[in-house]
Amino acid sequence: MSGERILAVDDEPQILRALQTNLRGAGYEVTTATTAEQALSEAAMRIPDAIILDLVLPDGSGTDVCRELRTWTAAPIIVLSAVGEESEKVAALDAGADDYVTKPFGMDELLARLRAALRRVAQPGEPVRRIGDLQVDLEKHAVFRAGEPVQLTPHEFSLLRLLATNEGKLLTHTAILHEVWGPQYGEESHYLHVYVSQLRRKIEPDPTRPRYILTEPGAGYRLVDPTSRGNGS
Amino acid sequence: MLASAGAVALVTAVISLLEPHVPLLSLGALYLFAVLPVAIVWGIAFAVPVAISSMLAFNWFYLPPTHTFALHDSANWLALAVYSVTAVVVSELAARSRRRAVIAEQRERESALLAGVSTSLLQGGTVTDELERISARVAEVLGVAVAWIELGGERADEPGAEPHALRVDDRTVGTLYTAAGRTPEATVESRFLPAFASLLAVAIDRDELLREALEAEALRRSDAVKTAVLRTVSHDLRSPLTAISAAASGLENPHLALDDDDRAALLETIRLESRRLDRLVGNLLDLSRLQAGAARPTPELWSVDELIGLALDELGADDRVAVELAPDLPPVRADAVQIQRALVNVLDNALRYSPPDSRVSVTAETVNGGLVVRVEDEGPGIETAELERIFEPFQRGAAAGGRGGSGLGLAIARGFAEANGARLWAEPSTSGAVLALALPTSEVPAEARR
Repeated sequence: MSGERILAVDDEPQILRALQTNLRGAGYEVTTATTAEQALSEAAMRIPDAIILDLVLPDGSGTDVCRELRTWTAAPIIVLSAVGEESEKVAALDAGADDYVTKPFGMDELLARLRAALRRVAQPGEPVRRIGDLQVDLEKHAVFRAGEPVQLTPHEFSLLRLLATNEGKLLTHTAILHEVWGPQYGEESHYLHVYVSQLRRKIEPDPTRPRYILTEPGAGYRLVDPTSRGNGS
Repeated sequence: MLASAGAVALVTAVISLLEPHVPLLSLGALYLFAVLPVAIVWGIAFAVPVAISSMLAFNWFYLPPTHTFALHDSANWLALAVYSVTAVVVSELAARSRRRAVIAEQRERESALLAGVSTSLLQGGTVTDELERISARVAEVLGVAVAWIELGGERADEPGAEPHALRVDDRTVGTLYTAAGRTPEATVESRFLPAFASLLAVAIDRDELLREALEAEALRRSDAVKTAVLRTVSHDLRSPLTAISAAASGLENPHLALDDDDRAALLETIRLESRRLDRLVGNLLDLSRLQAGAARPTPELWSVDELIGLALDELGADDRVAVELAPDLPPVRADAVQIQRALVNVLDNALRYSPPDSRVSVTAETVNGGLVVRVEDEGPGIETAELERIFEPFQRGAAAGGRGGSGLGLAIARGFAEANGARLWAEPSTSGAVLALALPTSEVPAEARR
């Protein structure tokens, strides 16, 4: 496809082999690492376009690798997590990971997440974001649904702006509270749930079956384009 | 009775020997030697008749007129009266001190028993386990033939037994039964039983607390095991599943450009990881069988090279394994399937935790009539402190790091070894890990050799 370089990190040799084979088959250039140390030195040697990272590594946690990588690269990171590692998964997302897939996963799902993550990076920052029927004018603080203006409170607009500029990316509760309400907020996720449901009532065609703002239980929210395929879960 | 009469007769005879040399009246005092021992041994009830019969005998045989009970001399009257009173007083004193001695002994026995119970209480012994020994001593103290103690609240009467409730405050902590027929002395019972009951109550309460503490500890441990099981299921079952799912979904994705080599690699991943899953499920089943005690071996005579061969077959005959066996090894007595499971796990462990190209050596030799199989690898080895710990389920050595493996293999290997009367241990080593399996050997019966 595009020849982008992917770094795959997992300590299980057979998982790594399947990832490498399939990613190469999908047109990516693939390098691999089996430890945290190897992952960091591999990424430093040849900066990858995206990183697929197992959360549990023999010599450290994927979260630490995320944090370290984020000090010098913005390349999207997708973490591989298993059930029972939820808190570790959220920690990795807070530390800068872009998305996650849950083990065991299918390649279709992983490839879709990878494509979405790479596309986000490629997208230049435009003042007006179009997501399905939704139009968010970042400069004029205006929102339209199917051409009709939507009235939002300042906090609702900040929330939508954050989600829209990170289209497709999973944003953790902590990250959203921090960005929209300020650094002193970080734990009060019930605020967030209330604002998200208010926002949904204004922009979703059916707020009980959201198509734009999707809930990732226990992790956070992501804004997706319901009209585009393979853009998230 | 007879002894009392004998004592009186003996003193009378001695007096007849001494009469020619000593003033007669002073000789009457000699009867005290008859009265005193009787008073000490049998008490005043016997001493008084002895005193009276002594005086009568003295009067009859020696005081004039002899051979009558009459007395002529008033001095003789006085002497006889003094002797009688002295004998009675002395015998009462003797009897009293004897009674005191008996009571003191009884009390000493009681306090010794109470002290014994409290000592075993203080030393942390389980009093409820020692009830039989304690009951025997209680029987001794109460002066009954048999006694036994039943713990708990009020109980129904038992035939042929006298119940004595052991009460503390309003609570009945147990019942002491004594064999019917002889009831313990009331004063002893009222003095001893309450003290004994309170001690017993403390001991029972303590035992109960101890048992609860042990149960809590067992629960905590079983919780830890459950957590470990969940972690195993989460990580160790999911890893092969993830590899299989990723490989299979890649194979069926029409948009991926996979060549024949890629497809072969993905198929091999599926095959290898399926086998790994199967082994893990098998191990979980083996472990539960071993823990339930349901792994009963069928011992037969086997040659050790055959057992090692079976294990290598199951592992897929890795060419990293080098087998070197001494010639003329005796046959071992074991369940082939179970020893195969033990060896597979030991070998799998060695292969997994050593570098991919390193060798794993298997040797066997006879030692003191047994046969020891050693599996040595070139991995990081086992720390001395962990030589035993690695055999606990869900434990991985520190050197294993985060590397896969359920931590079940060695626990299962040891379980099967011990079920077969064999021993499995890790030996201290400066290089890689060394695991030794000692199998019981057997002579081949003569008829089988013909």
